[in-house]
Amino acid sequence: MRKDKWIPYGLVAPYILHFAVFVAFPVVFSVVLTFHRWNIISPMEFIGLDNYVRLFKDRLFWQAIYNTLRFLVVHIPLQIVVALALAELLNRTVRGASFFRAAFFLPVIVSGVVVTILWQQLLGYNLGLLNRLLTAVSLPRVAWLDDPDIAMYSIAVMATWKNVGLYVILFLVGLQTVPAQYYEAADLEGATDWQKFRYITLPMINPTIFTVVVLSTIGGFSLFIEPYIMTEGGPLNSTLSAVMYIYQQAFQYYHMGYSATLGFFFALLILGVVMLQRRYIEQEN
Amino acid sequence: MAGVRLEHLAKAYDKGPLVIRDVNIDIKDKEFVVLVGPSGCGKSTLLRMIAGLESITGGHLYIGDRRVNEVPASERDIAMVFQNYALYPHMTVFENMAFGLKLRGLPKEEIRQRVEKAARMLEIETLLDRRPKDMSGGQRQRVAIGRAIVRNPQVFLFDEPLSNLDAKLRGQTRIELQKLHRELNATMIYVTHDQVEAMTLGDRIVVLRNGDVMQQDTPLNLYNHPANQFVAGFIGSPPMNFLPGRICADGPLRFESRGGMLGIDLSEYPQAATLRAYQGKPVVLGIRAEHIRRRPGPNERRFFRRLVPVEAVENMGSETMVYFPLETQRFIARLSADYPIPADQPLDLFWDLGKLHFFDAETEVAIR
Ligand SMILES: Nc1ncnc2c1ncn2[C@@H]1O[C@H](COP(=O)(O)OP(=O)(O)OP(=O)(O)O)[C@@H](O)[C@H]1O
Ligand SMILES: [Mg+2]
Repeated sequence: MRKDKWIPYGLVAPYILHFAVFVAFPVVFSVVLTFHRWNIISPMEFIGLDNYVRLFKDRLFWQAIYNTLRFLVVHIPLQIVVALALAELLNRTVRGASFFRAAFFLPVIVSGVVVTILWQQLLGYNLGLLNRLLTAVSLPRVAWLDDPDIAMYSIAVMATWKNVGLYVILFLVGLQTVPAQYYEAADLEGATDWQKFRYITLPMINPTIFTVVVLSTIGGFSLFIEPYIMTEGGPLNSTLSAVMYIYQQAFQYYHMGYSATLGFFFALLILGVVMLQRRYIEQEN
Repeated sequence: MAGVRLEHLAKAYDKGPLVIRDVNIDIKDKEFVVLVGPSGCGKSTLLRMIAGLESITGGHLYIGDRRVNEVPASERDIAMVFQNYALYPHMTVFENMAFGLKLRGLPKEEIRQRVEKAARMLEIETLLDRRPKDMSGGQRQRVAIGRAIVRNPQVFLFDEPLSNLDAKLRGQTRIELQKLHRELNATMIYVTHDQVEAMTLGDRIVVLRNGDVMQQDTPLNLYNHPANQFVAGFIGSPPMNFLPGRICADGPLRFESRGGMLGIDLSEYPQAATLRAYQGKPVVLGIRAEHIRRRPGPNERRFFRRLVPVEAVENMGSETMVYFPLETQRFIARLSADYPIPADQPLDLFWDLGKLHFFDAETEVAIR
């Protein structure tokens, strides 16, 4: 009996250990870091709230937040509309539906680096495929990645292309939970395809829409690889995303304490946005 | 309002076998027609073909004078009440009932009036703000009917609308559906596998089996003159008793059961002449439970009398069901409950010869 008492603890120990080392410790440590100056090499120096004061005065950080929001404003709606439209198409009995389902999902599992390099070829100013098409029909070239007013939106489109397959799958599952009989009843009532979509599909897949909004918000906030590889945050810092800035602070300038402060603040921001979304969508119901 | 005409209608799902074969039914304007048959016989399929929810493989379908084979469901002006109601869960009762009118762009005020009128008729005025999930099965059922009647369609279709209700509610709703049919004066096509519903609701009943129409007629004609053994066994409760045997016409006309235990003198049988032609052939005798009696009627010669061992007795209060074995079959007699029937004594029973049915044993067609 005595020995048995320890068995449950033994069984949960691996998980507790993993949680402590890889979750609890980093979280606590980074909160501690926000009150220190530290460049990894010299010992940590306590500086109180200096990092927070600096954050509020850091124009580049706010620009990065602003850039990220600009990205989200295009990325999230585009993601939802495109994913839902593709899911609607795939949900019909089209020929080769399973091929398209796989095709749309492929970019999701391909490495972001590969996708980004691919799109660089597509969007290049002189030799990019897109501009060559434009010149072929005698339209002017567009500086997809070199114009500070356009670059972030080009990245938003690219990120949508990369991730949309995942959301197509989510929407497909959502659409398939709507019983066919509702559409049949609506057919008999004389509903058009659009009316069926508007009055039956949309309200009935509301939970899926919420999931997609939250997932793509969180995913979108963590925008990093695309600008890091494609534009290095340029031109004129117009594609510098918040996560990229946090990365730079940590691993280019070794401002570990400040970077942790930015990360901490940014996490709170995401939490706030998601809670707002949730309240809004719950009200809609 | 309009009639519905089915001409040589056929249906196969995706290159599969025909599940509806050469169905011909002419449904008059304002008629209440019930499609009845065992599970899987194609009732729902036929109804959905009329609604436009299933494509038509062969034949012609007319609503009024218009051929509608290729007309989409949304343009057929038909309302359907589904078995599980198919009420939209995210809409209130009012919104559910108003949906079709709203899609048509009717003015708000008129929508309100029509919904309220239908709600009064079905006594669901107090439920208009509820959602489907907050109502009982019977209430949902009424809402589903309400949604159908607000649109004032040409034809109403019902697919087993009562099957999710308990027995008592089913009985009540049956009566209300009859009333509704009189008030709306509309063409109604009603699917059920319950022959009691069919008998009580239909102006006319169409009996289906495996995609074929076995017989279509008024309830009483189906009951009194079934065209074949299937209809005889399907319509009526308890089902008709059957006994295989053959006709002997050398000498006085007789029916002899296959096991030889039973010989019935048929010289007094009304259709003796037709039967005579079946001399020597296998036939099936049929008699309903209520035509086996405790006492003979005034004309004793038209009764066949037999002492039977009683297997079981069921007292229903108003009547008594007596089960007795006869060769390989189990027979049921429905007797008056006035006299107690001891379960362990043989019982003297009188079969009404005028109510006997005979069927060709091979084709199952009634011999008349
Ligand atoms: N979508 C379908 N695809 C293929 N076969 C089908 C389909 N729907 C029905 N069937 C077949 O068609 C036949 C008739 O089915 P139907 O649903 O019309 O029967 P039913 O008379 O309504 O039966 P129930 O009383 O059980 O509702 C059955 O053999 C069934 O298996
Ligand atoms: Mg059915």
